[in-house]
Amino acid sequence: MEFFSLLSENKTYLNCVHCGKCLPVCPSYNIGFNEFLSPRGRVRIVLTDYTDSIPLRAGKVRESMSACLLCGRCEKVCPNDVNIVELVINEKIKLEEFSNKSFSSGKLALNILKNKREILLKTALKIANIPLVKKLSGRNSPMPEGKSFIGSRDLIFNADTSLEKQPSQFQALKNGKAMRKSAVEDSKNIFKVGYFSGCVFNGIYPQISVDTVTSLTKNGVEVFVPKMQGCCGLPFISSGDLKSFKELAVNNALAFKGKKLDYIVTSCASCSYSINKLYPKYFNENDENYTEILDFSKKLISIWSFFNELKKHGFEIKKGKLNNETEAVFHIPCHLSNMPDFKPASAYEKLIGEPGLIADKIEGLKLKPLKYNYCCGNGGMFNVRHYDLSKKITKRKFEEIKEAAPQEILTSCSGCIFSLKDQSGILKHSQSIPVNHLIGIYARSLRS
Amino acid sequence: MDKKLIGEFEELLGKSRVLSETEELLCYSYDATSKDFMPEVVVFPLNAEEISKIVKLCLKYNNTPIVGRGSGSGFSGGSLPLKGGVVVSFTKMNHITELDEENMFVTVEPGIINADLKTYLAEKGYFYPPDPASYEFSTVGGNVAECSGGPSAVKYGVTKDYVAALEVITGEGEIIHTGSKTVKNVSGYNLAHLFTGSEGTLGLFSKITLKILSKPEEKSLILVSYDDIDKGFNAAISLLKLRNRPSMLEFMDKFSIESVKSIFKSDIIKITGKFLFIIEADGSKEEVDKSIGEYKNILERFSPVFLFASEKSEDKKVIMDARKAISPSLRKYGDLKINNDIAVPINKIPDMLAFLEETSKKYGIPVINFGHFGDGNIHVNIMLDKSNAEMVEKGGKAKYDVLKKTIELGGSLSGEHGIGLEKKEFMKLKYDDYYMNLLKNIKKVFDPQNIINPGKIF
Repeated sequence: MEFFSLLSENKTYLNCVHCGKCLPVCPSYNIGFNEFLSPRGRVRIVLTDYTDSIPLRAGKVRESMSACLLCGRCEKVCPNDVNIVELVINEKIKLEEFSNKSFSSGKLALNILKNKREILLKTALKIANIPLVKKLSGRNSPMPEGKSFIGSRDLIFNADTSLEKQPSQFQALKNGKAMRKSAVEDSKNIFKVGYFSGCVFNGIYPQISVDTVTSLTKNGVEVFVPKMQGCCGLPFISSGDLKSFKELAVNNALAFKGKKLDYIVTSCASCSYSINKLYPKYFNENDENYTEILDFSKKLISIWSFFNELKKHGFEIKKGKLNNETEAVFHIPCHLSNMPDFKPASAYEKLIGEPGLIADKIEGLKLKPLKYNYCCGNGGMFNVRHYDLSKKITKRKFEEIKEAAPQEILTSCSGCIFSLKDQSGILKHSQSIPVNHLIGIYARSLRS
Repeated sequence: MDKKLIGEFEELLGKSRVLSETEELLCYSYDATSKDFMPEVVVFPLNAEEISKIVKLCLKYNNTPIVGRGSGSGFSGGSLPLKGGVVVSFTKMNHITELDEENMFVTVEPGIINADLKTYLAEKGYFYPPDPASYEFSTVGGNVAECSGGPSAVKYGVTKDYVAALEVITGEGEIIHTGSKTVKNVSGYNLAHLFTGSEGTLGLFSKITLKILSKPEEKSLILVSYDDIDKGFNAAISLLKLRNRPSMLEFMDKFSIESVKSIFKSDIIKITGKFLFIIEADGSKEEVDKSIGEYKNILERFSPVFLFASEKSEDKKVIMDARKAISPSLRKYGDLKINNDIAVPINKIPDMLAFLEETSKKYGIPVINFGHFGDGNIHVNIMLDKSNAEMVEKGGKAKYDVLKKTIELGGSLSGEHGIGLEKKEFMKLKYDDYYMNLLKNIKKVFDPQNIINPGKIF
């Protein structure tokens, strides 16, 4: 079976010396300080399972693994390079292979995502937001904010095109062929990039896609958005469903294939984690579309890395100005990583890494530090499977947010936005703090 | 174990604070040594009263053994449930209960992470110096049990120098209070200091009162290396004689330097030489500038191979990264590490290092050394190939030779990790039967039924 080959490849659990360095950084360990829900505990369970030294029950193993948010904070501090996230994912895949395909709300959500049944997804989320349903289920679900970004056609956005000021042009842009021709002729277009929206910034928060594209085009970049793209697959692999993860990966890789793009940009940190880090790990030369997957994975970069590239090529990133001075915090998503050669230069870059480059360009934005930069509690499907645990982590996050007392919370990951927007039980309704993508506030500053 | 005992724990603490399933217990069966023992139940108390009841229940049920555990990051097996029984996890008892700013003491629960205490105090302008390498994840309770120390010991001493008072639950389940918030305290035996470094064998802590200092404003580093061990030794000794002695004086021998070289890449420093020091000065801005100037003058006199000083935080990070890179870099020498933390009188360091080189040659196995020069604490790493039985046997012999030599030089078997399970067979190198019996009798007074962390030290 597939997972046996996976497990035999990664034996880094043998490197674990049980030092305990991973404990304090783990969001799930910090909920109740129970080592059964910690990276070190999980590595020991995987080791024991693999060596068969003590018989373990699948139900208990699943309990420990499913409470892992795949945030990777443990791997960052591990002095012995144990691939903890990969070990947990492999264990989940193994458990999924053995499990009954029983019905659950999580599985329903996954099914909808996979088949791009957006109408169904939106209807389900709208139902989940009906007060009585909310009360009965005891959980808050995100509310779709507008019409999906990607429709039935590929989209091309020419440089220097304002999406919102010229709505008629926005419609016209949907005529892909015509615009592509003009874009090539336009010498101002130095970079041509693909935009990978991810499912959330397409279906639930489409404005973030509009803002991302606006920020790119206003900086003289042409943007191509293929309609065929879908979910990055992270929710699936985080649930142990390797098959669907790989199908989605292939679908995305083929959607961007042969389009002669300089880069493929995403503004969701979890999507970049999935595509940059996980795609290459779970495909090998025996897979049919291995080359396409590798090409896609190599070409995809985060919006922040892309602006860093623009800067390195000598382009001045456009400055914007906010109408009102705004004090904000930037929540650094666990899955956000900088380009390997990124060296922070400005104060904001030191504070938040690559996104600081864009924060520097927004006049009127004042970023305040977050003391610890704790995890938000989302973790892909974690907050669907363990809503209560997830909210405990979010609550801890809000302790540091409250201390910083911002007017707005900024971030750059779809999952983080989900969790940070869900402030009920944490802040009084009247004190709620708006949550936005940093690219959203940048686009706002460019417009005003 | 009697299932009724687990039931009683559940009644006392609630089900969520009692773990008894195999998969859960597995996660409490190890620490940072390579040994493991399964507990039979794990409990999470919140205060002294609960701990007292837990101990009394253990006495009632067949004198069930009890082992305290913080982060389980120890290097000597102190938190391992050698004889099964109950693991008392202190991780939920992680609060700061009082900051006494007038008297300059802080009182904490044992489960607080050392770094969290440091951060809390730093924000208020205070400083708790003990800094074991594990300070970012080890608990203060564990630090007190093992009397942990770190690089700052050269100027600031170790955990025992800060423990002022303790609330402890004895092996009879009685809650006692020992010590006080006074520097001077001669009223009966100093039990607070007896508990400190007792490796969790005399009782379970529930509150710890620590002396705190004002935080130094500034820190600055020097990296210096010598080609000759005697020159390096004399240079370092001269620094220790200063009134403003360094707040850190770490060294690496030529083997650690070699080891780090392979993975340490930096544009600003090229690590070289045979005896390298990382030196830190702390204090006010003026004091630090003065100290660094003075240190440099002294170090130059002994003809270093290179000397690099910097106040820039980026450079400091690079230097400290070099120090931190030693441990991971050792892996290429073998997958099994016998880690010793011997301490010798400072003037015996050159003799010890020479002996370690001889030992390495004698057995044909890598022995890599670094540590805290200012207190003679040397981390001796004997690197072995786990699959090579002959080599592992040689490693055991080398360890014996090293510890024997340590005692001959007037040193200690363990500077900061403790004896635990790892070194108890070597205690006879240092102590005779009469002395060992004194230790055992002390334990009996606090723990007549031998239920608190049995099987450790002796």
